Amino acid sequence: MATGCPFALDIFAAGTERPEETGAQHDFPLMPVGKAVDMGQAPDGAPLFDPRILQSAEFMRNPYPYYRILRDHYPVYHDRLHNTYYVTRYEDITRCYFDDEGFNTIPKGSSSGVLGNTQLELSGVEHRRRRNLYGQHLVGQSLKNRIPAIQRQARNMIAAWERIEDPAVVAERGGVYTVELGQAFANEFPIRVVCEVLGFPKEAQDDFYYWYNSMMSGLGGSETHQQGLQARQHLEDYVAGMVEARRKQPTYLYDEAGNPISKDIISKLCETKVDGDYLSTEEITSNIALVVGGGGETTRGAILNMWRLLLEHPEQFEAVRQDDSLWDAAFHETLRHSSSIGGQPRHNTYDLVMHGVKVPAGSLMEMVDFSANHDERVFKDPETFNIFRSDLYTGKILRSGYNKDGRRNHMAFGVGPHLCPGAWISHQEAVEGSRILLQHLRNPRINMERMPKDIDGKSLAPMGIVSVRELHLDYEPA
Amino acid sequence: MADTDLRIIGANGVAIPEGTHGEAGHRTYEVFQRERVGQSTAKIKPMQLVSKSFADDPYPFLEILRENYPCYRDWLNNCFWITRYNDVTSVCADDANFETRAKAWHLGLEGFGADLSQALPVLTAHANACDGHAERLADEAVADFAGRGEADLAVEFAARFAMQLWLALLDVPEADAGSVAERLWRLRRGVNWDPRARQAGLAAAHELRDYFAPLLEHRRQAPGEDLVSAVAGLETAAGPATAADLVSTLLEMDHETLHGGLANLWCLLLTHPDEFAKARADARHVKLAVLETLRHSTPVLTAPRFARHEVERFGRLLPKGALALCSAAAANRDPRIFAEPERFIVGRTDICHREARGQYRADGLATGVTPALGPPSRHPAVPEDRPRSRYALTRDTLVTASSVLLERLSDLRLAPGTEPRLNCRRLGEMHTCWHLPVCFSAR
Repeated sequence: MATGCPFALDIFAAGTERPEETGAQHDFPLMPVGKAVDMGQAPDGAPLFDPRILQSAEFMRNPYPYYRILRDHYPVYHDRLHNTYYVTRYEDITRCYFDDEGFNTIPKGSSSGVLGNTQLELSGVEHRRRRNLYGQHLVGQSLKNRIPAIQRQARNMIAAWERIEDPAVVAERGGVYTVELGQAFANEFPIRVVCEVLGFPKEAQDDFYYWYNSMMSGLGGSETHQQGLQARQHLEDYVAGMVEARRKQPTYLYDEAGNPISKDIISKLCETKVDGDYLSTEEITSNIALVVGGGGETTRGAILNMWRLLLEHPEQFEAVRQDDSLWDAAFHETLRHSSSIGGQPRHNTYDLVMHGVKVPAGSLMEMVDFSANHDERVFKDPETFNIFRSDLYTGKILRSGYNKDGRRNHMAFGVGPHLCPGAWISHQEAVEGSRILLQHLRNPRINMERMPKDIDGKSLAPMGIVSVRELHLDYEPA
Repeated sequence: MADTDLRIIGANGVAIPEGTHGEAGHRTYEVFQRERVGQSTAKIKPMQLVSKSFADDPYPFLEILRENYPCYRDWLNNCFWITRYNDVTSVCADDANFETRAKAWHLGLEGFGADLSQALPVLTAHANACDGHAERLADEAVADFAGRGEADLAVEFAARFAMQLWLALLDVPEADAGSVAERLWRLRRGVNWDPRARQAGLAAAHELRDYFAPLLEHRRQAPGEDLVSAVAGLETAAGPATAADLVSTLLEMDHETLHGGLANLWCLLLTHPDEFAKARADARHVKLAVLETLRHSTPVLTAPRFARHEVERFGRLLPKGALALCSAAAANRDPRIFAEPERFIVGRTDICHREARGQYRADGLATGVTPALGPPSRHPAVPEDRPRSRYALTRDTLVTASSVLLERLSDLRLAPGTEPRLNCRRLGEMHTCWHLPVCFSAR
């Protein structure tokens, strides 16, 4: 009783999908910077967004056209592959950052596994009670008092530079010196400053580099998680004895004249009470781990990115050289254009609807600071680096954010209750450090030969979403 | 997440439910998330769990998880992998702490229509179609290739039979069978992270709604025994059921276990001649082969469950809203439950032969976990006032179809030189055999 199948069986035939559809790993072609790869089109003409792009090499080097697709077409994008919602517009992110109750930071972050319990994971009053445990050392008068020490650190590091190079080689090059700014300065400078503020002895500085590197690259889910946990354990072993000692005998930070400014952060944490109880050694270590992790990479990236962007825009570099006060604007425009922190995770406390997307309570909502900083609704011509832009606020960093006279704050430090506590000191490090660098470097320019190249083999590799790893400079000593 | 519970505020439409402001997002400081050296999960990388290798053969990866990290925190994919049998079944059965989100949510089709898949008339229509048409449709499918001496069982039998049962269930006029089958297929495959598949699935939902709207009205006047008539006779909160409700109902029903189970069953039988001999020798063993297939190679690999509130399980804190990815595939090969779990054994003695009750067990024995069929039914195995459970229906239909194949064809064997295998065509889709070339002699 053969009847024939009433429908075509070829709908079931394997191989009807493109091979790249099978798995979640997919090599997207590398596009010219600023152009997005074609990920398909919805019936209404809107571009589709393939969540796998977020894990691709293409995205790492060329993220902004993809964020633009999200901002324009999916301001709240539900990534069903990674079980995440991405929020990409400046105004939305600002609202969420200020709403500490609706968008919480309960311990789900990938950092807590390695760093331990810190205020990153807390919300509301519990967060506020701990936020300023060490934050007070990094702001205001106590920061001002520290500036000479920061400057001294910078001078000491730079002083050694020319001694490294062989004079004969330099003479052959016509007196031109070459330096890799990362290795020679930016990698280590923030660490030295943080070490000093924490109250770590000098000999701890080598370990420090390993701690912060391993912990930050070993956060949950990374390939190097094991090293991250090991580094955290080493840090704890190192700090435990120190904490016990400082509970009895606090140590101090001194100004240039040798007068004590205040206790160092570890000594301060040792005598701090929260909810009527002293902090445990575990809690202190977790806080130290957070300072170690937060204080290195971010500032390093800011310094390198700032120098690269300025040197790529010689007229702006010249303006900064002429007018020392423009360093602040250069710093903030750098962080707007290319910061080293991509965003912050939040979890919505309640079921909510945002831009028509229903988000069930407890979902991971990734606030994409990168995208906020390039939101053309706020910053005109956002891909352009321009320290003179009239829509960016470049004054003192404010927890309340800034929205006056057509100027807005950038989002690199976040805003609201969880504003980065290291914002002010990192600003001082980058700006003071750069001032001193500029005094030392005559006619600095990028050594194109040694720099990593983009796919065309000629132009500089784009900065993408990771900060510049190396910056080779030619200069003549001043 | 009913709309009525939401209060809309603000310019960009953030909505907060009424009366929940007291329950702030703050939590106590004591819950500790820090991991120690030795607790690292270095034996697996999250990227492996979404790789092409995983889509092809997930079992080696799942074994690493099950034996080392029974509640694995997958940061990349933002979920917790639950892999041991007792853990998986406890989360699947625990509706107080965990919820299953509708396929409509996964597809992004919330609010399209009401899910009536648990309504008694719908269940009855489903049971009638399975009991009334399965044997005939299997017969027809076999008859179409019996004279050729060779066939692709995955396509010409498993896929075709399962789809034709859908068309019989809906009583679609033959002239429309082609377009409806193609749309149903597209709708099913749209429940996926791939944006192109999703768009195609959403389009299929709308096309199906437009197609069924006149048919539904017609059958409201002149009802038959089919699913369209059953839905037409139902009321939803918004009034008489519409074609959109019908499509939403279709979406939530099982699409994978019958098709994938049938293909996997025959793939396993043909690659395990000793086990195949058992099924041929004794008709009773066909059912046992079905049960063992659903254990050994379940077509639906995972059951995504979401924590309704913060809950401490498996030594970890699962925050509110956390995704507990219950791996049926890993649980079904848990050596704590099944001896020699990697082996396909028809008639194994450590699997329950009756339909499981409660915690996935009957007679003290465990059953294979089949996520798409839902948790074990609370009703008696042979209820008097309602049809058998979806699990029982699917199992019986698999047995019926396979028995027909056994009766009609003799000397059934793999086509020479073929090595059939199971895989997911796209990550997250069913894990089944897509190509099963066989030769035989017709009886």
